[in-house]
Amino acid sequence: MPTDPEWSRRAGDLVAAAARGDDAAWKALVEQFSGLIWSVTRAYRLGSADAADVFQVTWLRLAEHIGRLDHPEHVGAWLATTARREALRASRASARVFLTDDDAVFDAQDAGGETPEQAVLRSERADQLWRAFLTLPARCQLLLRLLMATPAPSYTEVAAALGRPVGSIGPTRARCLRLLREKLA
Amino acid sequence: MHDEPDDARLEEELRELAARLEPVPDRLVQAALDAYAWRTIDAELAELAFDSLADQDAALVRGQQQERLLSFRASGLTIEVEVTAAGPARRLIGQLVPAQRAEVEIRHQDEVVTVATDEFGRFAAERLRAGPVSMRFGPAPGEGRPAVVTEWIPI
Repeated sequence: MPTDPEWSRRAGDLVAAAARGDDAAWKALVEQFSGLIWSVTRAYRLGSADAADVFQVTWLRLAEHIGRLDHPEHVGAWLATTARREALRASRASARVFLTDDDAVFDAQDAGGETPEQAVLRSERADQLWRAFLTLPARCQLLLRLLMATPAPSYTEVAAALGRPVGSIGPTRARCLRLLREKLA
Repeated sequence: MHDEPDDARLEEELRELAARLEPVPDRLVQAALDAYAWRTIDAELAELAFDSLADQDAALVRGQQQERLLSFRASGLTIEVEVTAAGPARRLIGQLVPAQRAEVEIRHQDEVVTVATDEFGRFAAERLRAGPVSMRFGPAPGEGRPAVVTEWIPI
């Protein structure tokens, strides 16, 4: 995980440059944060049309706000918050409401699982890991899917994507990874 | 009890797996790059103040509600919009409050549909594709106030 101050300074510089019309800075922002925004659509289990809408609207919102952000250095958290709000809106629109902390509700929705690409899962370890991941409590899957973004997001960004305090991320991550290891053992 | 390096390794393994199973689709990365071209420097932003989908009771939203009401606010101007879905197409009916004449650019995917408000500040557009939309209201010629642009929202 990158250290927050260094990460923020670079992000703030990119926002300032993009606000001045620097295409390359915008491209760098897209490369830096697309994985994070996509992971939000995965974490909140949106269908492909909703995921595409949320992803696009999040970037369009940034383009609109690029010269108006109060804290350009926290652009990652701003994007994560925007994506989370839009993901919840899309969930409501599809009458698939995820505004709950109740694991039982999430777990019931876990039952179907997903059908990931066979090619990747031909590897025994990958197959085992993914299966174990899908049996984790919903709260763990939600957090880990965000942490699994490429490049690795900061805890501040993950907290923004969850709408939870940043201090809760580390302990929950440790607990969820321990649980995953137990399932793999 | 495992230590931090073990956690970092396992998280990295998950990251590599997710990158292979669920990569960001290329066309969406392209859409993110293209989003930059839509930025406006000179317009005032009208923020979304109400969305019947998000702000009403979820139980009501679950019903077969065909119309969605949106409200955007800028200083001294409110934009009320009703969105109706007909299959994949969307119809917009809007009104500027207070009523005024303006040119309306409906910015939507790769295209712009231009309409004008009537004397009551009303406007409409048919057969828009589902997806993100934003509206830009240019003042009538001769009026000094800046253009107003709404936040993007998927319809």
